[in-house]
Amino acid sequence: MEMKRENHKGKALNLLRSRVCDPKFAFKALYNSPESNYSKLKFMISSSVTEACNNSILLLGPRGSGKISVLELVIRDLLDEYPDSISVIRLSGLLHGDDISAFKEIARQLCMEHQLLFSKSASFDDNSQFMVAMLKECGLAHKTVIFVLDEFDLFAQGKQRLLYSLLDAMQSVTSQAVVVGISCRLDADQLLEKRVRSRFSHRKLLFMPPSMEDSQSLLVHMLTIPVDSSFPRDYAIEFNRKVQNIVEDKRFKETFSNYLNFDSSVKHLLKFLFCAISHMDLKTGFLSLENFKTAFSSINRQPKLECLRNSSILELYILVCMKRLEVKEKSFCNFNSVMKEYKSIHDSFQTSDYYDRNVCLRAFEHLINRELICFADNRGHSLSVEYRPVKLLISSAELNQGLRAYHSCPAILQKLMDREG
Amino acid sequence: MNPEEAAQIPRRTTRSLASSSASTSNNASSAKVNSLEPLTINDLLVGGDPISLDELFSNFPGRSSQILEIVSLLGPLNTPMLPLFVYGGASTGKTSIILQLFRHLNRPLVYSSCRTSYNQRILFESILNQLHLHRKSSANGYSNAKRCERPSDFINFLREALTDAINNLKEKSAKLISGKTMAQGGIGNMIYLVFDNFQLVREWDKSSTLLPFLFNLYDLLKIPEVGLIFISNTSPDTFYSSNMGYVEPIPVYFPDYTDADIRKILSRNQADSKLYSSFLDVALRSFFRVTRQVDELSTAFKPLYEKYCEPLSDKRVFPNGDKDKDMKRKLFSHINPHITSSLNEIFKVSSHPSVEVENSKEANLKVNQRKLERREEIAKLDFHMSTSAKYLLISAFLASRNPATLDASLFDSKGGSHNRKRKRKPSEKVPERKESLEEELLMKGPGSFPLERLLAIFQCIVSVAEDSSDEDKQSGELMSDVLLQLSSLCNAKFIFKGRSCPIEGSVRYRSTVSEDLALKVARSLKFPLSSYLYKRT
Repeated sequence: MEMKRENHKGKALNLLRSRVCDPKFAFKALYNSPESNYSKLKFMISSSVTEACNNSILLLGPRGSGKISVLELVIRDLLDEYPDSISVIRLSGLLHGDDISAFKEIARQLCMEHQLLFSKSASFDDNSQFMVAMLKECGLAHKTVIFVLDEFDLFAQGKQRLLYSLLDAMQSVTSQAVVVGISCRLDADQLLEKRVRSRFSHRKLLFMPPSMEDSQSLLVHMLTIPVDSSFPRDYAIEFNRKVQNIVEDKRFKETFSNYLNFDSSVKHLLKFLFCAISHMDLKTGFLSLENFKTAFSSINRQPKLECLRNSSILELYILVCMKRLEVKEKSFCNFNSVMKEYKSIHDSFQTSDYYDRNVCLRAFEHLINRELICFADNRGHSLSVEYRPVKLLISSAELNQGLRAYHSCPAILQKLMDREG
Repeated sequence: MNPEEAAQIPRRTTRSLASSSASTSNNASSAKVNSLEPLTINDLLVGGDPISLDELFSNFPGRSSQILEIVSLLGPLNTPMLPLFVYGGASTGKTSIILQLFRHLNRPLVYSSCRTSYNQRILFESILNQLHLHRKSSANGYSNAKRCERPSDFINFLREALTDAINNLKEKSAKLISGKTMAQGGIGNMIYLVFDNFQLVREWDKSSTLLPFLFNLYDLLKIPEVGLIFISNTSPDTFYSSNMGYVEPIPVYFPDYTDADIRKILSRNQADSKLYSSFLDVALRSFFRVTRQVDELSTAFKPLYEKYCEPLSDKRVFPNGDKDKDMKRKLFSHINPHITSSLNEIFKVSSHPSVEVENSKEANLKVNQRKLERREEIAKLDFHMSTSAKYLLISAFLASRNPATLDASLFDSKGGSHNRKRKRKPSEKVPERKESLEEELLMKGPGSFPLERLLAIFQCIVSVAEDSSDEDKQSGELMSDVLLQLSSLCNAKFIFKGRSCPIEGSVRYRSTVSEDLALKVARSLKFPLSSYLYKRT
């Protein structure tokens, strides 16, 4: 009996984790209504399949809003409905941005679909002719080819040969093709050349991040475990009730809205859920408000302040010297000038922390590795480290905050910062 | 590219290889092949004896919360995960904790470091080699499993390799379940890819496409049985670029160790822990102000601890042996003067001093601090250079330091030291101009000079040396390999070679040695460097 109880807690955890890691589950829930993008997209593609015509559409929206997931859901459903009349070619602007590799990839995927032999040494012209020929054949066989062009804006750089030949082939030969472009740039269609744009239908579907209420109901939906035979009934009901309690708690609402203020896309929400679920206490088997609080603090970090907290006191001295030089409006700052400032501070205040030049140089290099300062010149390395100009990558407010939070900060540093600022 | 194709590509061979008989090379290669067994999927595990979580906690003091966080994010066996981004300062234990954690969890791991796989192609091929369980041997001509340069090829190969490996794992675990009871729960169905030293990827070529590609790899693959872990020295915000976005992985932060943690770490494996902790009481606080990295502290403490323990064997200081009540105070008073000087040498990797220097140092043990410092200043040059390289280094230093207009007066055909009296008087410069000149020296750094000027100065100096020295064995040899010496000095980064500018003509060089080093080199040659230096003050 004990084993069984342990088992279902672990099972619940597994279920939740696989739900969160699979974005399609989330988007299916979100886009269930008939007015949603999912239904519109499905209608559009299925009508071009049934009516044997060509079509093109752009899916636009910020990153993580579910464009690809919704498209994959639509394609999956269509493949179920029309098993033999659809083939899918997937390209990504990041990987296949140049036309040569794009055509090669198209040819490779077409060969794989239709069990033809793919030759790696085929030239660009061979591949493009092959594609046109295949489109014609598929058109004659009443088979629709769906081209999924991810990162569409990257295809629109350069000469746009792929886009032109694809859209041109769709218009000239007897083909049945649907071109779906996906992009995070909301002006992706403005990037198209005139001749390409004229062949592109101006259909766009916008994927906007969900509102706060929708996000909340999505969260509840994702965290509700099914009350059926896979889980003991009372455990499932208790679990869902606890989730409902958490969601209605005022503190949770505050944390949640803080989190979504930064980025309200669904993927970001899924990250939050993943962190919270992974901290679920397996002894009790239920989620608690603490899990969500831990998730919030572990995802929202302040990296520069963390770096400052990790620095040694000598490194803080160097940062304060650089800040003082900046305030004095010395336009040009390198290691030697920082050393001069360091020496002048030591002379005027008689600090106990006065170290050799090579020790300071090493601390300086630590700061560069931590990305608290960086070199200001890009022209290569014809000068050694001591002479290259450097600049600070943190603001004086951050430096002040870091100094205050540092647990054994020498008072002299605070005084120096305050005196200038 | 399959192995046959690899063997048929004509390879350049050395003469010795071509001249060795074919039979011996065949025997050698077949012997080698027999001794190495083919790799199995179990070789993807970290290996070693299994360790428990408590051992892991005790091996890594101060890291228990990070270990627990990573364990909970990885989840139980066979659960999917979103990509993780582990970051923290240097030597905070990220790589070793991840590897030991996988040893504890006993799950297959594909580890690649972006330091040893220093460009895109090598990274891709190393990952594919591991997934294909491919070992480079003479049988396959030390080639990789697949030739892969572009991300588009990599994603296809990776998908195939991962699906094969995962099916392999599934068969294995199916056999385990159907067979006897599982001993340790099996190794699961998931494969984890670890990218170490990820911060180096930002500086590669094509990093603008590679970084978004790797961060989006989980979404592109759409295989739930893959876990991705990125390890980096810098935080995720240093990876932002204006080119392209990606969904950020989940951050896991490794803060630097606190005071107490460092004490625990350094006290491990010490023979006498009480003695060591009293040593740390004395030394740690001051060293902690300079650096907080464990590796630097441990290197600095080793010689200091030996020094600290010295009086224990000295009968004069401790007549009662270990039972002296004032032990701590006496040891403290012994070590105290050395701490400050050791602090200033903390990052120096010193060469071993010769025995005579050691003896003389012991004799002067009662000398106070200042003399010790001065003694270091006049230390000898502790690496060897040939005479012509030394002269070349000095001439480069002079060429960078002195303005070109002074060459004529400093170096005439005879050497020029007796012309100093007729040199123009040092003008009384206004103090502000002095200061601005000094600042210029600080800011701009050493000047650059063309090759002809360097060779001219070199020739002058060498002719002076030949005149003044009685040995004539040096007469012809110094000039012969000057250009060779110049290129080796450039490789050693004593001289920087600038890019050739089409307007200015020839390549310009710049000397990077400090004045101390130049003085040391000059002293070893008995060359009066200071008389040639242009004094700006």
